[in-house]
Parts: sequence; structure tokens; C-alpha cells
Amino acid sequence: MSVDTSAGQPDISILGPGASLNTYCQDARWGLAVIRATILEAAHPQIGAALIENSTFVAHPWRRVFNTLLSVQRILDADPRVRDREAARLNRLHARIAGVDPKGRPYNAMDADARAWVVGSLFESTVNLSRMSGVSMDAAEMERLYEEFRAILVLLEGNADHLPATVTDFWPYFEDVIDRGLENTEAMRIILFELFGRMPAPPLLRPYPALWSAGRAMAGPVISEFLKATLPEPVRQRAGLGELPGSHLLARGVYLGTGVASRVLPESWTRTDTMIGLLDPSRAEGSGAQLVTALRRQQDRAAALLRLLSPLSGDAPAEGSAARSADRFFAEVLDQTGDGYVSWPDLAAMAREIASRLDLDADGEERLFDAFAGWWRELANALDDDGDGRVSRAEYAAAASSLASPALVRVAEVLFDATDKDDDQSISAAEHRALFRTAFSRDVETSGEDVRYTRSEFVREFLAFMAGRKGSAGYDSLLTQA
Amino acid sequence: MNPKGSDTRASVPRHVACVMDGNGRWARQRRLPRTAGHRAAEAAVIDVIEAARAAGVRWLSLYAFSTENWRRPSDEIDFLMGLVRRTLRKHALSMCARGIRCRFLGVSDPRIPPGLARDIADLVELTRGNRGMTLTIAFDHGGRRDIVEAARALIRDRVPADQVTEESFARYLPHPDTPDVDLVIRTSGEQRISNFMLWQVAYAEWVFPEVLWPDFRAEHFSECLHVYRNRERRFGGVRPRFPDLDPELTDPLVKGSR
Repeated sequence: MSVDTSAGQPDISILGPGASLNTYCQDARWGLAVIRATILEAAHPQIGAALIENSTFVAHPWRRVFNTLLSVQRILDADPRVRDREAARLNRLHARIAGVDPKGRPYNAMDADARAWVVGSLFESTVNLSRMSGVSMDAAEMERLYEEFRAILVLLEGNADHLPATVTDFWPYFEDVIDRGLENTEAMRIILFELFGRMPAPPLLRPYPALWSAGRAMAGPVISEFLKATLPEPVRQRAGLGELPGSHLLARGVYLGTGVASRVLPESWTRTDTMIGLLDPSRAEGSGAQLVTALRRQQDRAAALLRLLSPLSGDAPAEGSAARSADRFFAEVLDQTGDGYVSWPDLAAMAREIASRLDLDADGEERLFDAFAGWWRELANALDDDGDGRVSRAEYAAAASSLASPALVRVAEVLFDATDKDDDQSISAAEHRALFRTAFSRDVETSGEDVRYTRSEFVREFLAFMAGRKGSAGYDSLLTQA
Repeated sequence: MNPKGSDTRASVPRHVACVMDGNGRWARQRRLPRTAGHRAAEAAVIDVIEAARAAGVRWLSLYAFSTENWRRPSDEIDFLMGLVRRTLRKHALSMCARGIRCRFLGVSDPRIPPGLARDIADLVELTRGNRGMTLTIAFDHGGRRDIVEAARALIRDRVPADQVTEESFARYLPHPDTPDVDLVIRTSGEQRISNFMLWQVAYAEWVFPEVLWPDFRAEHFSECLHVYRNRERRFGGVRPRFPDLDPELTDPLVKGSR
């Protein structure tokens, strides 16, 4: 596609707290830009295939949005080492994603054109949604932002050759890709037509499914229509999206409304991290974290009370319950991609999430992926009866109870080593937070601050969770929620 | 020698544990099914919790179900699981309101119905922040199993043999912040330990009132505390401070002498 090699490369040192992008991604509305950009990305055949086959976007949409925001925040970190580590991690992550799509075409997440499109569509969405909010960027601001996005591409690729050198050249490139490079992919259809209808509740609302589904029933179509209305016309046509009367007005209304809200409400309320903290308390950081932790505690307690006070609904007969809990564990934890099967991409998604949270280096990540790969081999050997390379729900339920496996113990030990950053053979409260983003779940009040997890406790808790025997707030936040 | 370094004549025991024995016999005496005995036990449990709290006991442990109890007929087990669940739900709110922190010891067998396991977790969560009495319910508990688990954990942590001391070992037991048991009450006159909190009862005083658990009430509990107060706790020391006062002779509740 469009290749421009004449211009110089932007300097990656412009990425930092002072970057113009930083002000955008601090605004909670930027989350909408991320989702919109994802639709445009998904319409790219290479990216669409990678999303469908490997990403947990469909099953865990919140996680994908949060992780994108986290990546951008890390890239804009004041410490260049944080930025470089994140870039290296993203590259390693993408290097693991390659395959052949259902039409037999190879895809590869390291493809330079595709990656340029990811960065470009994120830029275009930022500009577009900024314009719709009623405040258009001036030319200089847009230039600056574009330069920063190109710097991100330099950070990832080593050069920005696959994106045009100037904003002026960007728009023809953008239209060209839209016209000739995009397709009506399955990934795009899923995001457009299904995701908002059945988006799982964010962690804070999880105990209130009725509330969430009511809110989703009202807000889902609005957000969905809003996003559809903001898409470029050719994309809309290709996806068979008709012109819904008033949808443009709606789109403007939504964004203008949030724009007004962001002016009227205290600034801290509309900041991305506040929103994330509210939607998913386990991700709250900084000073707000204590408040959010307290809120979450209260909420856990209220939910516990509610369950205890609600009448017993004819308790499940004991014999069916073990199989049912295996079934639920399969759906909530193992099947990360939500396709009804467990295969390598599901376990890779777990490893990816852990590596991202712990900010692992290449070696640590390698060990983690090796351990998960070992577990996958073991699962496949033990459970894949029909030899189709994946484990179905029925295959899992039939043999789940006999899963006390050495490879899983190995995963637990590698995870312990990775979490134990200072290598003192125990997990401190800070190390625990890095992985689970929550405080210790066990009773710590009597022993004060200096409580630590030993290797054996850690391994035991991990195995209990993975056997589906025991829930755990920490592992729930890591592997099932969002 | 006093490993706890505490007053040997504390007026109120810090940690009291009850082995709730005699439900079956209570029912048999009344020509009722065994399940009726279990049902009648609920009133005693609630009474004792309130009595302990009123007396200023900070830690109360109740032996509700042992790892050996799984050998009972499956009908009785099903009934017990249902009863525990109903009782727990019935009293959850009042436990919380009275500032009682509820904990469970054991609860690891997959045969525990998921609904009950969920309720147990909810009760623990609900009362976690309470700072009144701590009520530990030993459910699916086995003292030997806890010790074996602790040993396993030590080995997994690669703790060198010479660093294993009583103190460090105790930290590997479940709920390591629980103090040693001062007084064990086993109702119905049976005099056995039955694999109950083996490590924690090392220096405990035992009383064996004849009364069957469903009949055990606050006044019986007070009598047991009284017996405890009149006992000389020696913690393995050779010379009692009041050699002329043999506690066993003054215990009205003690059946015979050992």
C-alpha cells in the first residue's frame, strides 16, 4: 500500500507526559475512539483474521480496551525505559500471532502495512471524535498529534515508512485503504452487530446482572449506532449499514453530550483512569485505589449479604453440581476467546495477560509461554479425544476432575517466579498487586503490613482455582473478568 | 515453663473450643431419628455463641464436621449439609450485626455442595471486617490433615530442616493468627480428642460435661468456664502452685478421674 520513504523519521523522544496524545488519552471519551479504531482495524483482512483467531476481544472486550489504554500510557511514560519495554513487549506479543485465515490467506501481526493501519486508524479516530465533540483540532495540533502517532510506529517498527510523512498525505492514504484494503470481515461484523448486544458486564457491575442488562439494552444500541454513524461511508456501505434516520444527529448528540459533561463535571470524574477504576476497580491505581478498594470491599460484602438473604432456590442436587461448575469454569476461565473450545490461543491469551500485567522481559515471557505451552500439550494429550487439536466443552467436562497435572504445577511455579520480582521466595503485597491488582484476599488484618505469600500457598491457591474448586478474587480479576 | 508467657490463671480463657458430641444419643433417647438430634443442636450452638461473647471469650471454635464424618450414611450427610446451609443463612445477618468474625477451618472436600461452599465464602466475606469475637467453625476438619498440609508447604518452600521450629511450623497451619486453645469442652461425657485441632490443643484444659450437646446451654458453658478458672494451668511444669488442690476433685462436671 502507500509507501513513503522520502521523509525523515520522527524522534521517539517526543513520546512522553508532555505529548499531545496524552491529553486525549486522559479523557474518558478516548475509549470510544479506541473502539471505533478497532472496528476499522477489524475490517483489515490481516488484522481481522488475527483478531478472530487469537484475540480475546470478543470474549473479553473490556480487557482489550483497558490494555490498549495501558499500552498507550506506558508508551507516554516519563521514563523512556518503561516506553521501550512496552514496545518490546508488544512486538513479542505480535510476533506470536500468525496463521492462515479461513480463506487460506496467511496473516501475520508483524505485517508492516497492517501495523501502520492500526496506528493510522487510531490517529484518524482521535481526530474524528475530537471534531464531533465540537472542538476541531487546528492544523498545528493535528500535525503534532500525527507526528506522535508516527513516532509510535517508529518505536514499534524502527521506522514509519508505511505511514505517509505528513497529515496532508495521510488522508488520501486513509481513503485508499478504506476503498481498496478493507473488507467486510467477520471480526468487524462481530464488533458491529454482536458485541454491544452481549457485552459482558464490567467487573463493578458483575454482581448486578439485571442492572447491567437493563443499562446495556438502552446504552448498547446507542453506542453501537453512534459508532456506526461515525464510520467512513465506504466502510458503512460495505458492512451493509443503512442510513438510519437521525443517526448522525444521534452521534453528534452523544459526543457533544459527553463533551458538555466533561466541561461541567469535575475534571477528575471524566479522566480515563477514574472511569476505568469505576468500571473495573481491580485496575485502579494511585491515590484513588484505596477508595476504589474500599468501594469494592463494600460491594463484595453487599453482594454476599444479598446472596445470603435471598431465599434458597431449591438447592442443586449434589451429583450434577460438580459437572456444572466444571462447565462454568470452562466458559469463564479456560475459553478465553469465547469460541466454545479450548485451544492454544486461549492459553496464550492467559499468558499474554499475565506477561502484560507483570511487565515481563523477554526471558520471563518465554518461560511463561513455555509453561503454558506445556500445559496445553498436557491438556491436549489428556482431553482431546477426537484429535481435532482443541478441547471441547464436553471433552473437558468428562475428564476435568482428573486434572491434577504436573504441567499445571509448573505453570504455577513459573508464575510464582515471575511475580516474585525481588526473588526473595515470597510474594509481597506490592508484588501481589502487580499481578492481581487487588490486595491480598486472605486474612491479613492481624499480622499487619508485612504479610507475604509463600511459594506453597501461592501454588496451592493457583491449583485450587485452576481445578475449578475455589473462586479467588485475584484470579477472577486476572482471568475471568473484563 | 509457660510457652505462651501469659497469666497461668487467666480468669477468662482466650480461646474456647467445643466438640459438639451427643446429637445422635439425644435423638435415640427420645426415639427420634438421628437427624432430629442435629436439628436440635442448632439452638445450643446459638446459645453458646452468645454465652461466649457475653463472657468475654475472644475466640470460639466449634467442631461441626470432621474429615471422618464423611463415612456416615449419605442420607445423614445430605441432611447435615442442608442443615448447615440453612442455619448459616438464618444467622448470617445477626452474626454480622453482633460484630462476630466467622471463619472456617477445613472446607476443602469437593463433596461439599457448591451452594454451601458459596454461602460459606459469603459469610466469611460479610464478617471479615468484624472485630468482636472470632468464631471458627471446623467443618470438614482433620487435625492430622492440617499438620500434614503444613509439612508439605514447608517442604515446597524448601525451608531448611534446622529452621523448622514450633513457631515457624505453626505459621504454616491454617489461620496462623489463631491463639492456642485454652479450654476444650466435649459434651456427652466422651473423652477423646477425635483428631480435633491437634496442634492448637497442646496445652488446653479439657472438660467433659455429661450433658448431651442439644441440651447444652449458656449455664453449662458458664460452669465449664468456672471449672477452667479453678484449674491450675501448668503448661508442662512439674510443680503445681497449689499442690493440695487437685482440680479433678473439685470439678463437678468431670466424669470420674483419668
